[in-house]
Amino acid sequence: MSPGLVDRDGETHVRVIQGLVLSKRRFAGLLLGVVFLFAVPDLVRVAQALDISFFQLGVIHRGLVFGFAAVGLNLLLRHTELVSFGHAAFFGTGAYTAAVTAVYLDVTSLLILLLLATAIGTVMAGIIGALSLRHTGLYFALLTLAFGQLLYAIALGQSALGGSDGMPVRPGEANEPLLLGQSLGDAYGIILYYITAIIVLVGLLVMWRIVNSPFRYALDAIGQDRTRAEFIGLPVRRYVWVAFVISGVYGGVAGGLFAVFRQYVTPAGTLYFLQSGDILYMAILGGFKTLLGPLVGGVLLVVLEFVGRSVTPYFEFLTGAVLVILVFGFPEGIVGSIGEDGVFRRALARGKRGAADLRENPSVAGDWARRIGGGLRRQIDESLTTLRVIVFGVS
Amino acid sequence: MLEARNLRKSFGQLTATDDVSLEFGREAGELVFIVGPNGAGKTTLVNLLTGYLSPDEGSVVMDDQDITDMSPDERVHAGLARSFQVVRVFEDMTVRENVRTVVLARQKKTRSMFSLADRHEEVEATVQDLLEKFRLEDVADAVAEELPHGDRKLLDVAMSFGLDPNYLLLDEPTSGVSTREKEYVIETIVEVSKAEGVTTVTIEHDMDIVTEYADRLIALHQGAVHGEGTPQMLETDDELRSLLLGVEA
Repeated sequence: MSPGLVDRDGETHVRVIQGLVLSKRRFAGLLLGVVFLFAVPDLVRVAQALDISFFQLGVIHRGLVFGFAAVGLNLLLRHTELVSFGHAAFFGTGAYTAAVTAVYLDVTSLLILLLLATAIGTVMAGIIGALSLRHTGLYFALLTLAFGQLLYAIALGQSALGGSDGMPVRPGEANEPLLLGQSLGDAYGIILYYITAIIVLVGLLVMWRIVNSPFRYALDAIGQDRTRAEFIGLPVRRYVWVAFVISGVYGGVAGGLFAVFRQYVTPAGTLYFLQSGDILYMAILGGFKTLLGPLVGGVLLVVLEFVGRSVTPYFEFLTGAVLVILVFGFPEGIVGSIGEDGVFRRALARGKRGAADLRENPSVAGDWARRIGGGLRRQIDESLTTLRVIVFGVS
Repeated sequence: MLEARNLRKSFGQLTATDDVSLEFGREAGELVFIVGPNGAGKTTLVNLLTGYLSPDEGSVVMDDQDITDMSPDERVHAGLARSFQVVRVFEDMTVRENVRTVVLARQKKTRSMFSLADRHEEVEATVQDLLEKFRLEDVADAVAEELPHGDRKLLDVAMSFGLDPNYLLLDEPTSGVSTREKEYVIETIVEVSKAEGVTTVTIEHDMDIVTEYADRLIALHQGAVHGEGTPQMLETDDELRSLLLGVEA
């Protein structure tokens, strides 16, 4: 079925591709998002003129790259309900693959560097997944963390990889990787941004297909009741492994993009466990129950860190405070909260209903006070459960 | 035919299944009920047959194939399904999604990553058929965890039937269900089993249900087979009555 307008429940909707039918308002939002994505290099100039310091190409680019890794991680988090603390391993593997290939093999092609980064990042996910998925919950989280740290230690200890100083991603004589044999010169940063934007869009589309496929039903079943899933004929570990590898593909791509964009990789900037924590944080910040949330969370967290650094040397306090507010007030994340079933829409609807009730019968105010007390208690309970999932990987 | 051959299973000092040999499905669509007091080893037997537990000794044979070492998911694809004593459905999914997941899994369509889940016409037809058979159409779009207990039990059983089994093992499908809903649940199970020729092995505590619906009855006691026969043995076997009902022999 081709793109076009369709009628649903008497309202005109827009079919973007087969199966993706959006209301006119959501389609407009999608269109706006895509236009914004590609307009960033131009908007940066406007921001410079207006002295908005955080809106820099490098900052947004970095946010997109990490957010892309978070989109991959989210497949595990949202559907299999497994919390991985080792996603930086695939990100770092991708990044170091690009660096090693450029420096030691003199590969100048940007596309080959990206392809190899993806391939090796994926293989690493396959190996780590096969070893970690023998366990679930806390032990799975710890194993992913351990494997990530193992790779970090290797990168840190190997002088061939530059140790703690890291290594450049500059192939041979070339100052930067070449696109189709051509040096991009001053346009390198901008063209790489557009390449990233295209990869992000394609990656989102692929992920959209995956999360609307029968495969996702299997992952949801496994996430909700592993034993029952086994007894409906699903080879559980195999499915979770495949999901783990897919999330590794996204990590590898993101790592490769990061390497060619920064043209320098370090163990602390790619493989360190805090990077895994950041990727997980991005998914939760944006809304891990949504497709776009992790990407939005990626950009926002990087912007937040940038702004925080310019305001205070204790910028981690700022990101920590945001996480606490998020868990207590907006556990659905930013995109989740503004969605149709999100906390903002629900609050707005409740407000409208409440105002109408109050006009009819002012004595309902007493009932509200009691209900708010009970609601607050429930909210605290739910938040503590969410925190347990985030910290320990168990509910 | 599904066979338990000299199955034995112990947990520490406790022998939960003691040299049990049984046959199920001598004819297609047979309704076998397993009865016995608490601790008789009924659930352990079902767990051994379905691969939830591995036996210490003995084997499980299905249609002349030894399936003792098969994983639970492989057994499902070989034609053996089960439900659990406590309802196990996918709580965050709707009723329709629960049934769809099961049918997709059974037809091995869950391997597909790029097709749209609700666009498999033959799957959707089977899902609709199951929802109608188990009278779940009215709640098809309700989230499973919000269903009343009776509907949850029906959904659980519908999901087991959705696996298109030759042998279906149901662990207390009427437990916790009100008296009125109990009849409804068991009648639906009997109706669908007979219509589709599924051999159904049901653990049941309600002797009225057993008497009314069983083709064959198997009584377990202290992990061993106490006896098997028609439901009339509930009246003729005084020792069994004593075990089950606390009536003096």
